[in-house]
Amino acid sequence: MRWSHSSRVLVLGIFLCLLAGAVAAQDGEALYAKYCSQCHGDSGDGMGVAAPFLKPAPRDFTSGKYKIRRTPTGSMPLDEDLERVIKVGLPYTAMPGFEKVLSDSQVDSLVAHLKTFSADFEDPEALGEPIEIPSPPPYTPESVERGAQLYVETGCGRCHGEIGYGDGGSAPTLVDDWGVHIKVADLSMPWTFRGGGTRQDIFRTMSSGFNGTPMPGFHGALPTEDIWGIVDYIVSLGGGTVEGAPEAPYTSLLVSQGIEDEVDLSKGAELFVGAQEAVFPLVGQIIEPGRNFFPATTSVSVKAVHNTEEIAFMVRWHDMRAETIGINGPDLRAPEWMAQLDEIDWASVPGGRPGMTPADGGDEGGLWGDAEGDGGGDDPWGDAAADDGAEDPWGDAATDDGAEDPWGDAATDDGAEDPWGDAAADEGSGGDFWGDEEGAAVAGPTLASGPETEFNDAIALQFPLSMPTGVRKPYFLFGDAQNAVDLWFVDLGSDGIQRYTGRGSAAIAPAEGGDRVEIIKSYEQGVWTVIYKRKLVSRSSISFSEDSFVPIAFSVWDGFNRERGNKRGLTRWFSLYVEPLEKPDPMAPMLKAGLGVLGLELLIVFLMRRRFGNKKLIG
Amino acid sequence: MNLLVISAILAAMVGMRFLKPSMLAWIAIWWLGMFAILEFGFAVPIPASVIKIYMGIITLSLIAYVLTDPERVEQVWNPIVAFTVEKRFQPLLVVVGLLIPCVVAWSIYADMTKSKQAPSFARTVHPAPPDQITVHDTDYPLGFADNPYRTLEASAPEEFAARVQAGRDVYYSNCLWCHGDVMAGEGMFAHALNPIPTSFEDPGTIAMLREAFLFWRIAKGAPGMPDEGGPWESAMPAWENFLSEEEMWNVILFLYDFTDYKPRAVELH
Repeated sequence: MRWSHSSRVLVLGIFLCLLAGAVAAQDGEALYAKYCSQCHGDSGDGMGVAAPFLKPAPRDFTSGKYKIRRTPTGSMPLDEDLERVIKVGLPYTAMPGFEKVLSDSQVDSLVAHLKTFSADFEDPEALGEPIEIPSPPPYTPESVERGAQLYVETGCGRCHGEIGYGDGGSAPTLVDDWGVHIKVADLSMPWTFRGGGTRQDIFRTMSSGFNGTPMPGFHGALPTEDIWGIVDYIVSLGGGTVEGAPEAPYTSLLVSQGIEDEVDLSKGAELFVGAQEAVFPLVGQIIEPGRNFFPATTSVSVKAVHNTEEIAFMVRWHDMRAETIGINGPDLRAPEWMAQLDEIDWASVPGGRPGMTPADGGDEGGLWGDAEGDGGGDDPWGDAAADDGAEDPWGDAATDDGAEDPWGDAATDDGAEDPWGDAAADEGSGGDFWGDEEGAAVAGPTLASGPETEFNDAIALQFPLSMPTGVRKPYFLFGDAQNAVDLWFVDLGSDGIQRYTGRGSAAIAPAEGGDRVEIIKSYEQGVWTVIYKRKLVSRSSISFSEDSFVPIAFSVWDGFNRERGNKRGLTRWFSLYVEPLEKPDPMAPMLKAGLGVLGLELLIVFLMRRRFGNKKLIG
Repeated sequence: MNLLVISAILAAMVGMRFLKPSMLAWIAIWWLGMFAILEFGFAVPIPASVIKIYMGIITLSLIAYVLTDPERVEQVWNPIVAFTVEKRFQPLLVVVGLLIPCVVAWSIYADMTKSKQAPSFARTVHPAPPDQITVHDTDYPLGFADNPYRTLEASAPEEFAARVQAGRDVYYSNCLWCHGDVMAGEGMFAHALNPIPTSFEDPGTIAMLREAFLFWRIAKGAPGMPDEGGPWESAMPAWENFLSEEEMWNVILFLYDFTDYKPRAVELH
């Protein structure tokens, strides 16, 4: 039998439909087991095998506490909220977007399965009225200015910092409902916002808050136009992207600008006016023992200038708090991950230690033996946990009865317009974190509530010790045996700079003699600024010559995050281009070439006309 | 392959058959068509230097084609002479004569003022493995070694499934940050790395490699690569520092299981 063309197409179509149906019928449970359980746990309790390595921790679906929602504080999320997170993920966390992998119907079946983990989805009381997100009013300088004022009045800066860099006074003390320190959002980096960086996204977060965290929702507490005002101020802090989602401004080239003036460090940032800013992304060092699965710093901003003699680099990064009374060094030994977890007093954390139990904390991956032998004996995290509530901000807030202080108000005033008051009055509904927090201050555990840490903030610039002759560079992790690197390490708690020569992470030694590098440093409003200066030419280390590319890399240590040695944030190799001081003027070569070509043309036309001028060839 | 561009150019070539343009136009269309295919016809851009070489060859071929027949030479030469000599073309001749030096000057300007690009290193993605490696005191001849647990797939499916599961646990507590949840090389640290982490979903990676090759790349990581792989800038750890051989073989089983690819078999000589 011969099939006609159309019947073949028909059969193929039916086959494809059946196939699609079969794929879609893969139910939520199977999808959950394949794509979700490794982090969120087989039973949805957030204790998957990856959980001990993740911060923020994977969501515990049994708690019913969801951050990204279009419903009021304390309420359960809508299906569309869950769908959104599954599809686009949570930026700068381990939660990826599954848009490319899962079909809409697969996402639907996953949502249905997630909702089986918490009975609150069945509870009509827990389902909040969805918050309408109106179309945004125009973004104007006035709305930004008004937002800036509201930002202060509402007390946003207490956690998020005066200008939003995540350095508010209480930022080091914030804990989530599970007693784990939670990092405040850096409002100048909207690409890191968990709920997304568009104006509508920020409006949603402002309105709904993040359940399970200290971030309150302002729906009903602030008029809609005030929320838009604060949204616009936040948008302005992040660079003013009004349409769509802002993207991270990462680059891969640092251009040092030639200047005629003296390289005068006392000018500070003024020295670098006009120089191009390069923003380089940082990630945790997870390649060698001492792994850092959640680094505190996500990027550094760098500028460079030089004259005929000297070159200067300005490196800036955001840090919640300056740690300067301990120690640090690139050669300090950081224990392997499981041993780092052992530093935490898990007995004080509800639910105990997440995820898998350490097979053998001590010897795990002990490339350099002695994984646990790290300098300081005292464990500040343990201390902090023992030191229950002493540093607790909510306690502070409750006693700190400043008349203008919304937090103080909260404790005393149940006014309906006051978000903090709302929360306090509304104690039974389960989503009330102010109530929760105050409870936590008394009975619950707090972790690392802003203790002094034993490690300082620190920064290192890394260059090859000598200019690579071919393509081969030193290994980007502190060099290798054949190719050394020059580390310009600054422990921000001590004076000056310490240069190290790195021949691999396990072979770092203070550099001998050589070239003087001068630095100045400052910490202001959540920003560390370190400015380095050195002569362009060096005999014992790399020289920066004009019109050349020099490999450059960075390491940042955050003392609060207990980063030291190999436990740090790092970048890959980037390139520094040293601009020529005298830029060649293109005018002369342009004229020369242009006139040359014109002359040649004239000659050709002249010759052609002399030879063929009298003949009539065409037409 | 950018099918739109290529089919448009093919259509133009076919169109020429019917329209029978002059020899000069025919050459121009061929030259421009070839250039457009090289420049825009492929999804992965061809380096400018390679395009230059190809266009040089194409130019020479077209010249050779014309020169082999006196009639074709006439057809090309006559319009050129007419253009330079005849009065009716004079205004156009002036315009073209001024335009060419301007274009030359502009290209010099663009070349001298273009923003600097960081030098890049063209690494070999799958560099050749050594004949033999030693992991935790065991020697593995890479040409012959195979996953010791692969045969369980047929002989003991339950034990095999348990090993895949164990490999999954290894993956999600070690590899996740770079290679990502769904093996697409889009982990949360991937944006900061160069070379970017391998996507195992890409049919050009594990689908065409033997398990022993993966074992070598996992056990020895970036530091174990030869220079053509750029060992100084790849972030792949030497996992022998963290994992047992068994864990590494298990995670390899998991990679193939998750992606539904089959490893390339050992070639018997």
